[in-house]
Amino acid sequence: MSKKVVIPGELISAERKRLGSNVFVSGGKIYSKVLGISEDESEKASVVPLEGRYSPQQDDVVIGVVTRAIFAGYNININSFVESFIPKSAMRDDLKVGDLVSAKVEYVNELREADLGFARRMYGGEVIEVSPVRTPRLIGKSGSMLELLKQGTGCDIIIGKNGRVWARNGNIELLKKIVLFINDNSFKSNLTNSVEEFFKAEGIPVSAPKKDAIRVNNFVEESEVIVNDLEESELLN
Amino acid sequence: MSGRVRENMPDYKKDKKRVDGRKMDELRPLSIKVGVIPNADGSAYLEWGQNKVYAAVYGPREALPKHTQNPLKANIKVTYRMATFSVPERKQPRPNRRDMEISKVLGEALDKAVFTEQFPNTEIAVFVEVIDSNAGSRVACLTAASCAMADAGIPMKDMVAATGVGKAFGELIVDLNKDEEDAFDAVDIPFAILPNTKEIVLLQMDGLLKKSEWSEIAKLGYVACEKIYEIQKKALSEKYQLSEVSQKLIEDKSVSKSGEKDSAKIKKESKGKAKKVRK
Repeated sequence: MSKKVVIPGELISAERKRLGSNVFVSGGKIYSKVLGISEDESEKASVVPLEGRYSPQQDDVVIGVVTRAIFAGYNININSFVESFIPKSAMRDDLKVGDLVSAKVEYVNELREADLGFARRMYGGEVIEVSPVRTPRLIGKSGSMLELLKQGTGCDIIIGKNGRVWARNGNIELLKKIVLFINDNSFKSNLTNSVEEFFKAEGIPVSAPKKDAIRVNNFVEESEVIVNDLEESELLN
Repeated sequence: MSGRVRENMPDYKKDKKRVDGRKMDELRPLSIKVGVIPNADGSAYLEWGQNKVYAAVYGPREALPKHTQNPLKANIKVTYRMATFSVPERKQPRPNRRDMEISKVLGEALDKAVFTEQFPNTEIAVFVEVIDSNAGSRVACLTAASCAMADAGIPMKDMVAATGVGKAFGELIVDLNKDEEDAFDAVDIPFAILPNTKEIVLLQMDGLLKKSEWSEIAKLGYVACEKIYEIQKKALSEKYQLSEVSQKLIEDKSVSKSGEKDSAKIKKESKGKAKKVRK
């Protein structure tokens, strides 16, 4: 397989490549910064981390908890190094300590403090905590996994990039099980398929999401097959 | 002190073997397991000979009290602690001079490996707890702590691999145990490097050594640290290996897939022909 687990300081490439995330250059060679998974065949040298804390990025959707309410506004814990602040003028409704808020990160400064915008209070529902670096697997390529989860459990789901999954209505117990399953197995490929099997074992009929969405998530071999198919169709035309 | 000769004293030059039967450059058996403490961001358990060490990492998190914050980098705060039952005579649980010193040098060694400038105003808290000890506990702690840090997902330039090197009973040796540390001519050197750059990040010495002996010992240390690095690497990647059952399933799949591949190849060839025809 072209994917492999790398540890901090492990050589990714001795050649010149485009630099992706979580790598650094030393002496003309590219090394990994974190424990993660790297693909050595891609043109870009980058590492997908397996562990780590949330550090806010612009345009992230996050789910926060109100930790302090003062006259001017609210302190919001977004699972980052520092708490964020929302002024009262930016909120339509009043918040209490312990309320849940969904918001978008508008700006991150050099001290990694996040300014939040579009803050909305969330009524009801439950929050499942997962590892922040694994939330991309919960969403899947072009949202295929999220689609599957919504279909199978009937929940309204919002996935915060800060490692909090908010869900309301539907079969939340089942959702919890599956979300934790994905969290524990995030380093494996073909997750969408195994989750589909998970649903089938529970006796819940789910139809696979869009064809291309699954195929992108699959092994390299299968994508080769797709390319072949395309060539064939070109030939036919 | 070589003039003082006692009966039954081992002589490594003559014996060609150490008190516990090891070769001169052989390490005690070392095993590491990461991710053992669920509440920590990263953790590791290490057994090295009789040494047993737990390491837990929390953070990066906001450094409190606020005056300890550094707007340019993260603080690495190491707490080395020995359990009261880790040594033959009960250890007083209060942190003593030695504990504080070891905490300080371990923190400085880890600081060299971590991209601290990425996390301003934060602290990375590392707790190392010695459950059982038999010489070389600080290098055991450093090896475990660096694994725990990697497990916590903290960006690092490199791992830190550490070992004890030195001299006992007239021979230069690696990874001293307690008997060798108490030898009449003992020299104990905790030695830690970043394996990629060969940068030394921890070096202390107890005893007296000739200059020529030091250069020999350093060579031994580099070789031993490479071995330790390999064990660290294995321990970290092992956590993310697939279970045997699913590994087998994938292999079976790839076998059936390779069959498909052959057919795809045939298709490709036929396509090539088709293209030629087209031309």
